[in-house]
Amino acid sequence: MNRQHPHKHISLQPSYILHTRPYRDSSLLLEIFCRDHGRIGLVARGARSSKPRFAGLLQPFIPILLSWHGQGELATLRSAEPGGPAPLLAGDRLYSAFYLNELLLRLLQRADPHTRLFDAYITVLSALAESKKEEESLRHFEQVLLQEIGYGLILDHDVETGEAIDTRLQYTYILDRGPVLWQKNTQQGIIIQGKTLQAIAANHYPDSETRRQAKHLMRSALAVHLGGRPLKSRELYRKQRFL
Amino acid sequence: MTTALIGQLIEALRCLPGVGPKSAQRMAYHLLERDRPGARQLAAILSESAEKVGHCKRCRTLSEKELCDICASQKRNPQLLCVVESPIDVQAILQATDYQGLFFVLMGHISPLDGIGPEDIGLDELAKRLDEGEVNEVILATNPTVEGEATAHYIAEMVNRRKIKATRIAHGVPMGGELEFVNSSTLSHAFSGRQAL
Repeated sequence: MNRQHPHKHISLQPSYILHTRPYRDSSLLLEIFCRDHGRIGLVARGARSSKPRFAGLLQPFIPILLSWHGQGELATLRSAEPGGPAPLLAGDRLYSAFYLNELLLRLLQRADPHTRLFDAYITVLSALAESKKEEESLRHFEQVLLQEIGYGLILDHDVETGEAIDTRLQYTYILDRGPVLWQKNTQQGIIIQGKTLQAIAANHYPDSETRRQAKHLMRSALAVHLGGRPLKSRELYRKQRFL
Repeated sequence: MTTALIGQLIEALRCLPGVGPKSAQRMAYHLLERDRPGARQLAAILSESAEKVGHCKRCRTLSEKELCDICASQKRNPQLLCVVESPIDVQAILQATDYQGLFFVLMGHISPLDGIGPEDIGLDELAKRLDEGEVNEVILATNPTVEGEATAHYIAEMVNRRKIKATRIAHGVPMGGELEFVNSSTLSHAFSGRQAL
């Protein structure tokens, strides 16, 4: 047995499908996000035959319990069971949900566990389904995602002076460093209110201004890690406005 | 013992969905041993189809004519337009329902994670069709997958903005099935889409 890739049997692991792709004649390649192992690639044999196995369960945004075995990069799915009520995502909410999956696919390495992010993912899906606190939970998810990939935002102190963030003052957020007090001739960074930084940290947004600034900051912070390629799910939003 | 040519035939048959090496071999030997006329006819029709079948310029379905039989028909109701993902869905609807309207075939669905956007599934043509003003209801019959739903939603926005009615086929429990065995997302859709009796 290969020591680096021991033969593994994983049983009833809480998971979500991020993406599926047809594979060979009747199989699917799955990218999943699961609680204890993070992002994993699986082969679901017979999932596309005329009498498909795992019928209807291998869809994104549905909580499922997956069991698999195998070693190395690609393991084989053994069974799939429903893992709870499926959130009903309609309309624009589906685009937001695709956005989450696209972020996870683009930013997570395979087989790194991210339990906190998994919890944030569940929260944001149910917020989208119930249309309650959608923005808060989206921002929270993005924030946890940045932390989990090792680039968490600094929200509590000025990185130049070390002083605590004053909610009455204005700052410039320099993406690879953190917030510094705003000065008239600053060229770089994103202008942001102290109260927005605090709002992000507390995940509570008192007004539309803090929401708008927080969204802008997250977008810029994520863009650094996404490289030049834009997110397709975000384009969908934009295009819909010009139908 | 397979000769080079037979080997090539077996290999070529494997391009069919669900045909592995073993069934390809059976097909090849059947055609050569027992059914030469069938083999000749298959070859002729296959090459003619591959040459001549294109897309209907109105609904995008597969057709060897510029206008497919459904679009050309005078008997169908041009005010109803049913949007489906693939030509095979048109057949399924024709066989199962008494739908009398016309179709529009997307030849795919929006899938942001595969990089397939609205411009890749002929929505500009659909927009032109809607702007002609004849259609007064668009029935969205894309697949009940998340991509199909996103596609239906996107098109519904397009349709509603033109003050045309957009409807979506219902999701529900399959006839002859048992609730116990229906998957959770289908059941949850069926439940939220319940109707008064």
